Amino acid sequence: MAVSNTQVIFDNLYGIFTYLAIIVGVIVFALMAYLIIRYRAKNSSSDPEDTPRLGRIPTSRGHGRNVLITVTLSTFLLAILIITSFAAVDTLFPNNPPNATWCYSIAAYNQTQATGQSCPRLDVTGHQFYWVFTYPGARSYTNFFRVPVNTTVVLDVTSADVFHDFGIIQFKIKTDAIKGRTNTIWFIPYKTANYTIQCFELCGTGHVGMIATLNVMNVTAFQNWYGSEK
Amino acid sequence: MSQLSRIGTVVKSDPMSQDIFPPRVKRWLFTTNHKEVGILYLVTSLFFFVAAGLLALTMRTQLSVPNNNVLTETLYNQFVTVHGLLMIFWVLSPFAFGFANYILPLQIGARDLAFPRLNAMSYWFYLFSGVAIIMSFIFGAPDLGWTLYSPQTAFQFTPTIGLNVGAAALILITVSITMSSVNFLVTMFKMRAPGMKLRNMPVFPWAILVTIFMMLYAFPSFLAAVLLLYVDRAFGTFYFSSIQGGALLWDNVFWFFGHPEVYIVLFPAIGVIADVIPTFTRRPLYGSKYVIGSMIAAAVISFIVWGHHMFVTGIGLTSTKLYTVTTIAVSLPFDVMVIAMIETLIKARIKLKAAALFALGAIALFVIGGITGVYLASVALDHALRGTYFVVAHFHYIMVGASIMGLIAGLYYWFPKLTGRMYNETVAKIHFVVSFIGFNILYFPMFLLLDMPRRIQTYAPDTGWGPLNSLATIGGFIFGGAQVLLFLNLFLSQRRGPPSGPNPWDGWTLEWSLPSPVPAHDFDTIPSIAEDGTYRFGNGPGYPNGLAHIDDSKVGNGLAYSHLEGMSPWPLVMAFAAFLFFLGLSIGQPSSPTPVSYKPFWPLIADGTILGVISLYGYSRERFSVHEESHVESWPFREVPNVKLGIWTFLGAEVIFFGVLIGAYFFVRTNSATWPAVGELFSIRNGFAMTLVLLTSSLTAIMALASAKIGSRNGLIAGLLATFGLGASFLYIKATEWIELGTHGVFLVASGLPATSYFITTGTHGVHVVAGMCMTVYLLANTLKGRYTKGDHDAIEHFGLYWHFVDIVWVFLFPLFYLI
Ligand code: HEM
Ligand SMILES: [Cu+2]
Ligand SMILES: [Cu+2]
Repeated sequence: MAVSNTQVIFDNLYGIFTYLAIIVGVIVFALMAYLIIRYRAKNSSSDPEDTPRLGRIPTSRGHGRNVLITVTLSTFLLAILIITSFAAVDTLFPNNPPNATWCYSIAAYNQTQATGQSCPRLDVTGHQFYWVFTYPGARSYTNFFRVPVNTTVVLDVTSADVFHDFGIIQFKIKTDAIKGRTNTIWFIPYKTANYTIQCFELCGTGHVGMIATLNVMNVTAFQNWYGSEK
Repeated sequence: MSQLSRIGTVVKSDPMSQDIFPPRVKRWLFTTNHKEVGILYLVTSLFFFVAAGLLALTMRTQLSVPNNNVLTETLYNQFVTVHGLLMIFWVLSPFAFGFANYILPLQIGARDLAFPRLNAMSYWFYLFSGVAIIMSFIFGAPDLGWTLYSPQTAFQFTPTIGLNVGAAALILITVSITMSSVNFLVTMFKMRAPGMKLRNMPVFPWAILVTIFMMLYAFPSFLAAVLLLYVDRAFGTFYFSSIQGGALLWDNVFWFFGHPEVYIVLFPAIGVIADVIPTFTRRPLYGSKYVIGSMIAAAVISFIVWGHHMFVTGIGLTSTKLYTVTTIAVSLPFDVMVIAMIETLIKARIKLKAAALFALGAIALFVIGGITGVYLASVALDHALRGTYFVVAHFHYIMVGASIMGLIAGLYYWFPKLTGRMYNETVAKIHFVVSFIGFNILYFPMFLLLDMPRRIQTYAPDTGWGPLNSLATIGGFIFGGAQVLLFLNLFLSQRRGPPSGPNPWDGWTLEWSLPSPVPAHDFDTIPSIAEDGTYRFGNGPGYPNGLAHIDDSKVGNGLAYSHLEGMSPWPLVMAFAAFLFFLGLSIGQPSSPTPVSYKPFWPLIADGTILGVISLYGYSRERFSVHEESHVESWPFREVPNVKLGIWTFLGAEVIFFGVLIGAYFFVRTNSATWPAVGELFSIRNGFAMTLVLLTSSLTAIMALASAKIGSRNGLIAGLLATFGLGASFLYIKATEWIELGTHGVFLVASGLPATSYFITTGTHGVHVVAGMCMTVYLLANTLKGRYTKGDHDAIEHFGLYWHFVDIVWVFLFPLFYLI
């Protein structure tokens, strides 16, 4: 179920990691199990020739070659992971987020859309123990906010007191909310629904209840809500 | 144990404390023997393991179903914090260092650690720090996570005294760890048996060596961080509560320590596993030099990956990508380690005893922990996974799966050596199977809970997190219950198990050449290793003709290994004094109705100080000579005596400590929009004068040493007096400067970051100067009694090293504070 662009990107990347993890894991565990069963001590067998014995330093064993092969193979796998991760993070958390478009349906922002400019970013401020969401014109809401579906939303996240962490659970994104700093995240919601926002950094007694709701609406509903509240 | 107690009774007691304690108690309180200290470490760490485990089971109960209310939120947060702190600082490392104490000197053919009394002191600092962290519950235990994130640690957000006590506990345990790392380092470089080259050491000592290096460079950073935190809370300063320092300063300093710390708790277990596997597979470790090389590589890289704990703090795309690469790179050396262990099994003859099962199980779990670590290393995935149960699963697979399981392998492996008795193998195997299954039921579901925030007291039913949590709780109780088998088995076997003989597993390392339990003096004669790799036991018959020859009747008289008599009460007293002192600092009352800071509780501080001075005096007066073997080979420190090497490594740690203080100053300064101009606050002339005075004092310290060397007592006295005088002048100028600044009333320690950083950094340096001056007084007193001028000038030289270091630090501080 695609609920946002960020969630889709995450799921794809997580899938790649998990495929590789399963392959590597199965190989390693199978090898271990095979060797343990194959070479279990039988009463009849006797110790190998190079068994380490008290009284002398054991003979050294092992090839540099095998180590090299392991490292090369792993480097190759890890390179895939790095490249795919970088591709994902370049879209998900670029230094400059894309143009926000959530406001295009609002009459007051006609010009913005016409000139292809960015809508204002929304401000998110963490407090002990609630979230405040601020739209342009200092319209602010506690513990919920609304955006139209299929538009780009950019959030500037900060904190009024201690270290919080702002995460939209189903969208698979989060960023720290730190006093004196602003961290920016963006997303495009794909589906109208309510999504859970929760604080992901223990911030005191009350942290557990630091939950807010993101309500993704269809465009007309958003238009009506935004226009009706002044 | 029986043998050890017998030895305890022949100990010549020291008159001071003879009557207070019965001999059996006294032996454990005053021992400096590495094996007894090792057992103390093991028992204590297992005690904390149980305590922290019970906290965890209570938390699991609370989480088993949604909207549960077994624990209040505050209590839950306290439990989650203290559980983490206990497991990481008071269980994992001390558990490993119990083995390091007992086994490591035997494995390298040493008769103890280089500084036995210091070793005992490390233990007592460890114990009292643990008492302090548990006591913190009385005052409202820390409740903000083991990572102690800023600015929540500021007094305004966390006014409970418990956090002060917790911070004090952390300072005490850092002191303990620093002392033992210096001790082990010197031991390993200086006290190896002749012919025991570094590369001949088994993997366990190697793992400890690498661990110690990480400790030496990571813990000073932590100490500096906790000290600044402490100062913030005590004096109302703003290092971590200001925007300029704040959250990110703490994050950097903490994780610079924190990441190496996670390897610090892992590597000893890898060392144990690498010792256990060859013994039970009957084949040498595959590629052991690559395993050791990988450990070194991972240790080095561990200092440049800390940013992966800051992926979502907003440090920028470029840095996060760099940290992704370094973090992923660090998985390569682990890869080599794991593959080497697995390849060891090829053409082996595997005996699946309990120790082997735990070792192999630990490797399997480590593979899962390592692979999921790579997920977290990807900055893209971490934006989703950070702060969730996925992270919890990841590090428990490593810390419990690999570290604890690996150390339990060590417990079974060395149990016969420690007690002379066998445990019950069947029960031990059941213990493994139940633990392994319980472990996976407990932690695997947490990977699937990758949406659930960690460190929350409860969750709503509609999150759907209930079933997996219930499963995890069931697993938790299975895993916890299994440990009862461990304790019962070991406890009963220690009393009734069948005798094990010296080498029940047919192991090759040196500890197996000694009787079990090992007699107090360890080796009759120090073994040596010939060029061809065979051992020789002194003049006696070398293996394979016979084991090292031990005659127990000689212990305590004929052989009279010096520290058998060398019980000392002072390590214990000193640690207790430090405990009182820090407790006093911590449990005071807030200084005003709207607290920004609190007033310490002076009576306890005074008691602690007095006791500290007394024990310092007792410590230095006590006749305590450690028998030093003249070892043939101790490269690369052939010419360097133990104490000197100890001081050098200690100074290495001090460099990091001051580095962090200076780094913190840089950090807040570059983040501040305005900063007082040069010369506006501090007179450059003053600074210049202090520099001159201190540099001159370095010269006089050199003169003192030169005089001591040529035997000129007057020259020595003059040199020491001059050094003292110059130190005093330095402090005088510094004090006038402080008073001058303070009298304007605007430049007090808490009046802003320029003031805070200045007072704290120069103040810490000043404390070092005072400590140096105390040393000169001590040296002067002894000089007047006629010491140091008859070729016995080591102490003067050591003092000189320290003093030059303190001067060099000032050479850095002067330009940084006065000239830029
Ligand atoms: C080798 C022993 C290891 C231990 C003991 C360990 C332990 C830990 C711990 C305790 C944390 C959680 C920090 C916190 O948030 O409180 C953590 C997080 C992390 N670990 Fe490991 N880890 C190990 C290996 C690895 C490896 C091999 C990798 C990667 C290749 C890795 C990557 C990470 C990353 C990236 C995080 C940060 C996750 C986050 O907080 O968002 N770890 N690890
Ligand atoms: Cu929170
Ligand atoms: Cu890390």
